[in-house]
Amino acid sequence: MAGGEKISIRQFTVLAMFYTIGTTILVIPSTLASDAKQNAWIASIAGLLASMAIVALYIAIGRLYPNTTLAGMLEAAFGKWLGKLATLAFIFFSFVGGSAVLYYMGNFMTTQIMPETPIGAFIVLFGGLVVIGVRLGLEVLARTAEILFPWFLMLFIVSALFLLPEIDLANVKPIVGIGLKPIAKASLAYTGTATLPLVLFLMFFPAALNRKQGAGKALLVGNVIGGLFIVIVTYLSISVLGADFSSRNLYPSYALAKKINIGNFIQRVEILMAGMWFLSIFFKAAFYAYGFAAGLARLCGCKDYRPLALPCGMILIAYSLVVYPNVVYMMDFDSTVYIPYAISTGLLLPLLLLAAGLIRKKPGGRTNE
Amino acid sequence: MWVIFGIVVTAAGFALIEMRPLAKAGKIKELWLFALLLLAGTGLCIAVSLDAPVPNPLDLIYALFRPSSRMLELLLKE
Repeated sequence: MAGGEKISIRQFTVLAMFYTIGTTILVIPSTLASDAKQNAWIASIAGLLASMAIVALYIAIGRLYPNTTLAGMLEAAFGKWLGKLATLAFIFFSFVGGSAVLYYMGNFMTTQIMPETPIGAFIVLFGGLVVIGVRLGLEVLARTAEILFPWFLMLFIVSALFLLPEIDLANVKPIVGIGLKPIAKASLAYTGTATLPLVLFLMFFPAALNRKQGAGKALLVGNVIGGLFIVIVTYLSISVLGADFSSRNLYPSYALAKKINIGNFIQRVEILMAGMWFLSIFFKAAFYAYGFAAGLARLCGCKDYRPLALPCGMILIAYSLVVYPNVVYMMDFDSTVYIPYAISTGLLLPLLLLAAGLIRKKPGGRTNE
Repeated sequence: MWVIFGIVVTAAGFALIEMRPLAKAGKIKELWLFALLLLAGTGLCIAVSLDAPVPNPLDLIYALFRPSSRMLELLLKE
């Protein structure tokens, strides 16, 4: 399926970075601050380290099956029917994730920027954009990421520099006042949002790269760079807004950008932050939608996923208005059951896949595809 | 009413764009899958626009992962 499409190592790195930043940058400072208080930034570093171990697992799986997609790997490891069942689990994961991300987008727009416009309008517009991206294919998405990366970097650097004068170190102290358990819980939330969804990259991860050399490193580097962005944003939101305000705000990094005030002249530039978020969430939504369409295509044995992008997009858009009936439900879901769900799909299933794959490879049996 | 009309027109447009090349290439399986998904998508969009109750996949996740999330919470409580 991914046979025709090739992306370069650099494009892949940028994609992994955007996907890691995704929704994480806007919502995770709040979750981290509510668990780990003023040590939220330490929790995000802990999450970053845990993420590296998880990415190493994905790289090992990619090494085991260099030329096939996730569905093919699962079928080679678990046999035909169990493999199809596991593929279905990943399709469900990307379906839920895609709808949820579209809802995040719409909810952010209606609550923060344009309160009078109905949420459906944003979801249809943004979802339409995402679907066009998936319809055009992986190569186009990868090139888009490459083009947008400098803009993202510029927006990030500008807003981070503008925030430097607002930092109040009293907000970060005392540094070791919080125990290990809240930090572990917070870093778990970080990993669940930022890194575990990266499992969907196995849909094309080693197979669609033009060079296999350095592919694993690219995934790791992309994930770590994305993680560093999040660590910086978390630190800024704790040190500027304080732990309490960060944890009570649904979108602390957006509230953070409202604080920017350089000489009473440069102020209210929070749309910079929102712009960054639009870029990164576009890729997150696009790869969930890609996982949904490509997974379905592969499950039914179709060669090309692209014709399925449009109807899959319709389903995602419809469901994005259903998955979260309201914000309370959303916050409860994200902070409770989402974490074990993400762990079982993003960590346990890949671990099983790796174990089964290693056992099967031993007698010299070769998987061909 | 207009929303439903819009959804149906969009779906028809999608069918027009995608189905002809698939039919020409003789990809019957893809054609079926596409038609099925399009039908599901159109139905769901109409249901949502009419505020009809649609089953929520997250309820399933809640049912499946409630116990493990409780355990995790107990484990990580101070």
